[in-house]
Amino acid sequence: MFRPERMARALIVGPRDRLAPTIEVLHSMRLLHIVDHHEGEESFHIGKPLPEASDLSDSLVKLRSISAILAVEGPPKEREAVSLTELRRKILALELNITEEDAARKKIEVLLGDLERRAEELRPFAGLGLPLDDYRGYGSLAVLVGRVAREVSDFETAFPQSEVFRAPGAVAVFVPKAQAEDAAAALGQFGYSSLEVPKDAGGPSALLRTVESDGEKWRARLEEVRGRLEKLRERYAGFVVAAQEVLAVEVEKAEAPLRFAVSEHSFVVDGWVPAARSHELASRLSGTGVHVESGEAPKAHGAADPPVLLKNPKPARPFEFLIHLYSTPSYHELDPTVFMLVAYPFFFGFMIGDAGYGLLFFLLGMIAVWKLPKESDFRNLLIVIAVGGFWALVFGLFVYGEMFGMPFHLPPGAPAEELAWDTFGLNYPLQALIHKSLDLWDMIYLSILFATLHLGTSFVIGFVNEVRHNKRHALAKLGWFLCLFGIFTILTFRLSWTQTGGWVWRVALSWFPRTIEPLGISGLLGVQVPLVSLGLIFCAFLGFGESPVAPLEVGGLVANVMSYARLAAIGVGKAAIATAFNTLILHNFIIEHDVGSAIVGYILLVLAQLLVFVLGGISAGIQGLRLNYVESFTKFYKGNGMRFVPFGTRKPQEA
Amino acid sequence: MAAIAAALTMIGTGFATAWAEKVVGGATVGAMAEKPELFTKGLVLMVLPETIILFGLIIAIQLVAKVL
Repeated sequence: MFRPERMARALIVGPRDRLAPTIEVLHSMRLLHIVDHHEGEESFHIGKPLPEASDLSDSLVKLRSISAILAVEGPPKEREAVSLTELRRKILALELNITEEDAARKKIEVLLGDLERRAEELRPFAGLGLPLDDYRGYGSLAVLVGRVAREVSDFETAFPQSEVFRAPGAVAVFVPKAQAEDAAAALGQFGYSSLEVPKDAGGPSALLRTVESDGEKWRARLEEVRGRLEKLRERYAGFVVAAQEVLAVEVEKAEAPLRFAVSEHSFVVDGWVPAARSHELASRLSGTGVHVESGEAPKAHGAADPPVLLKNPKPARPFEFLIHLYSTPSYHELDPTVFMLVAYPFFFGFMIGDAGYGLLFFLLGMIAVWKLPKESDFRNLLIVIAVGGFWALVFGLFVYGEMFGMPFHLPPGAPAEELAWDTFGLNYPLQALIHKSLDLWDMIYLSILFATLHLGTSFVIGFVNEVRHNKRHALAKLGWFLCLFGIFTILTFRLSWTQTGGWVWRVALSWFPRTIEPLGISGLLGVQVPLVSLGLIFCAFLGFGESPVAPLEVGGLVANVMSYARLAAIGVGKAAIATAFNTLILHNFIIEHDVGSAIVGYILLVLAQLLVFVLGGISAGIQGLRLNYVESFTKFYKGNGMRFVPFGTRKPQEA
Repeated sequence: MAAIAAALTMIGTGFATAWAEKVVGGATVGAMAEKPELFTKGLVLMVLPETIILFGLIIAIQLVAKVL
């Protein structure tokens, strides 16, 4: 549970003619994480793909191009069963059909583009109405024709010898050649940009009509072709997807020898197998006439660390993706999944701390379990959130006494306009232990308490990780743990006037020596410090073993602890937003108002609650994750492990 | 005075956080466009500056409550 699955190294050796059946067995067992063979040893080379590999990958490439042309997306509702033998024939037939249609489609698209460009060219001339021949062939006249942004006015007064033809957005000006430059400058004021006169002869309107009717004709043809492609897609989508899957598997099998070591007459497969199941592999493979040799993985760190397969009880498995999201643990360290399982949802629940939202998050997770496909990360995420929702429900019911941002009973000293569930007739038997907005320091103290537990556990895990191969680093972890405890006792002592802090100081820490330190540091800081706490903080010097500047990190550790105040901040902030929405909307729209405004009020209320729910979920989710990743994982986690991907499983990006 | 000081603290740290997150967020989105697997590292770096405003919040609460 706390460590990754133990691995054993397995070597499979056999004659080359047994290669294909061995691959078949390995692929079906999904048990061996193959270690790729690298060229170097003289007698063994990288193997060559099985003979059928090139045909198979050729078919796969064709199929992928077909799938791209047909724009097949995602798995269809019905999958077809495909057999490998008829696959190739079917793909060839389909390819013939489709490439023809696709070529036609592309050709028509190019043609339509040309026609569109030509129509665009002719349109201003059609507006001006002059035959195209009239624009050329003058000796003494210059022709300026182009688009204008504004209508050209007062041109004839400035150039009396000119003739101007106007159309919306276009102009044609005939002026003596000597005035051409001035005329162009004058036209510039109207946003003039010149156009090239099309080479054709005749009336531009008639030409434009021909081009447009051609365009219509080809568009209809394009629709026809697209319709035919659409029909092909409907008919073959199931086949294409199923065939792609089958072929991908077959290609993987056929190309597997590229990862093996091969000599003239034999082959060797090197890999990792879960130690508990290595005999299974051996017994199944012995049937194919090859020899399997396996041995335990080395205990110490080495160049060839085994791949990591996390081994957790079923309820913890959805949390594994949060660990992989950060980094796969290394083979030799503790697997923090269970730690995450406890800490993350708890923080989430503490921040949300509301029976109503908690229940909704919980239900959302239940729906995900029921509806979403297994192994999807989104489903895992919702399950994680659901556990968080459960904690939020617990906190909402038993600690904060709050539902949808409204307390069950008003706390003493609450503002007069604030509302509670009991004013609506809901009599919840328990009183709240902590009121988020009134007992702010209790919330902060609880954050500090959780910080200490969380970081303390992180240091303990760090200690366990280090103790087996670096005693000095392990000692440093211990030093940090004691230092953390010192900081915690000072903060508890200073906050012992709060409800929770007082309990911890008087009851849980009743054994802790209360002598105030006599060295005058208290006076210097302006804060009284118990002597033993001060001593504990100096344990940070044990960190010398890790790095010479380690003791300077005490400030960093205080910052880490304070960073957990976000638990309180988000909890209080979210509750305050919800309370503000509730009071505003209920007072201004619903209570003692007519039916019309009450309906508007209820709609607003639902929207406001939804907003708080979503925002709360996102901020609590991200901040909870951050506390684990940034504050805690940096204390012990190494990561950088290689994930166990046995031969035969789909790669994560394909699944 | 304490209330004004608390407000100034929140304004200052709020702006500092926003500015820092703007820089980090922009860079993260850029990096993620090239390597989507950097999402987690980006997320972690992205929320790192929030500690600034958190310290601001604690100081502000202390100023208002004049305790500790």
